[in-house]
Amino acid sequence: MTTVMLVDDSATMLMSLKSILTKAGYAVETAGHGKEALDKLGKGVKPNLIISDVNMPQMDGITFVREARKSPGLRFTPMLMLTTESEQAKRTEAKSAGATGWLVKPVAPEQLLGVIKQVLPGA
Amino acid sequence: MSGLLRRSGSFAEETNDPSVSPELVAEALRPVPEFCDVMDAHIHDVIEQTGEAAEGIVHKLVAIDSLAEMMSGDVARLASTLGHVESELVTVTGANDQLVDRLIRYFIYRDEQIHRLVEEMRGLKQHVKQIEEVSKATNILALNAMIEAVRAGDAGEGFAVVADEVRKLADRSRQAANGIGSSLADLTTRLDEVLARDQDFDQDEAAVEATMDTAMTRRLAGVASAQREMSEMVSTILHDALQAASQVESTSSALTDETTGAVGHIQFQDISRQMLEHVLAALGDVRRQSEDLVAYSRGALGAEALREKMIRVDDLRARHVMGRQRATHAASTGGPAEADTAPMIELF
Repeated sequence: MTTVMLVDDSATMLMSLKSILTKAGYAVETAGHGKEALDKLGKGVKPNLIISDVNMPQMDGITFVREARKSPGLRFTPMLMLTTESEQAKRTEAKSAGATGWLVKPVAPEQLLGVIKQVLPGA
Repeated sequence: MSGLLRRSGSFAEETNDPSVSPELVAEALRPVPEFCDVMDAHIHDVIEQTGEAAEGIVHKLVAIDSLAEMMSGDVARLASTLGHVESELVTVTGANDQLVDRLIRYFIYRDEQIHRLVEEMRGLKQHVKQIEEVSKATNILALNAMIEAVRAGDAGEGFAVVADEVRKLADRSRQAANGIGSSLADLTTRLDEVLARDQDFDQDEAAVEATMDTAMTRRLAGVASAQREMSEMVSTILHDALQAASQVESTSSALTDETTGAVGHIQFQDISRQMLEHVLAALGDVRRQSEDLVAYSRGALGAEALREKMIRVDDLRARHVMGRQRATHAASTGGPAEADTAPMIELF
């Protein structure tokens, strides 16, 4: 089963996105911020896709992506940023850190699932 | 908020006016921090409240979603079962039709066999008539023999001739009796065979036409017709039930899509939370500035230091992350509206 890791400091966001993805047939792992996500990845969680918020406590999403990309097992894992941020400078920074794409909240469930199919064509 | 900041800015300029009393400024600003604390508390309360509400909504929607999905599964199973029942009914109806048709052919076949046997029995009448004729002639000859015997007295030459004829007639009678006996024995044997053997029908079935119109076939055809009507009726009911089940399945699927969409809409809470957090940060700035003003009026903070720490609307704008925030800011301050041209979804 394809596993998606959701990283967001909003419990509401995690809950709603988990519901949408689970119903679409994905297994879901969650983390409340970048540091927690890195801890889980270090403990053996192997997601096929990571969807992360940008502005989070302890470790923001762009730093998390930059750190996660250092792991050989995550070099080719798609990482999408899902955020309220719409500034071009942040997008450029995320792209440089290794993000695969940028989605501005709110995103409709069918749009999110469509993007996932694009970045995970075989799933 | 920006109005409050503008008012704060003009007041700061007024404090540089020597005619303005520092004590009065301090007195006017003293309740501001507490005022900000109350606003801060209220806004935090709003964040908490909307968070709880949104969480509750998500729980409800997720539960509805699960129920709708279960309903969809149940209906799909029902539709599958009904489809199977309809398929079986069609098979059973076809088999019943074949059975009734075969029954009609069988009865016609039996009917024809019995008719042929009756005709053969009619043939026995000829033998009976033969015996009657022989009997009649024997009587006449016997009478003649009696007359001749009386007339001849001792001379029995004529009697001998008559006696010979009587013998011949007796012989013919025997032959006729034998013919009747033989025919009857043959007929009995064939009847036994016909009644004992059903396999003849299996061999001759194709040669039998099922269109013969008799009381029996009409009755059997009526039974078959009623059975067909019943099957058609049941089939119609099942078809309607299948349509209903299909509709419910479709509705259920739409309901599931709607609830998924509703779950997606809950993202509003995260957006509202971040917007309110920016308002809180702005209120914090106002609170700090009011404290600085109090310090300045009391001589605890110099004019230069006050100017350095003074809040600026441009700083506030720099903190906005959402296009909507920047648009609202521009609308509030009368500044130029910045068009957000970047796509909402972008794959690098």
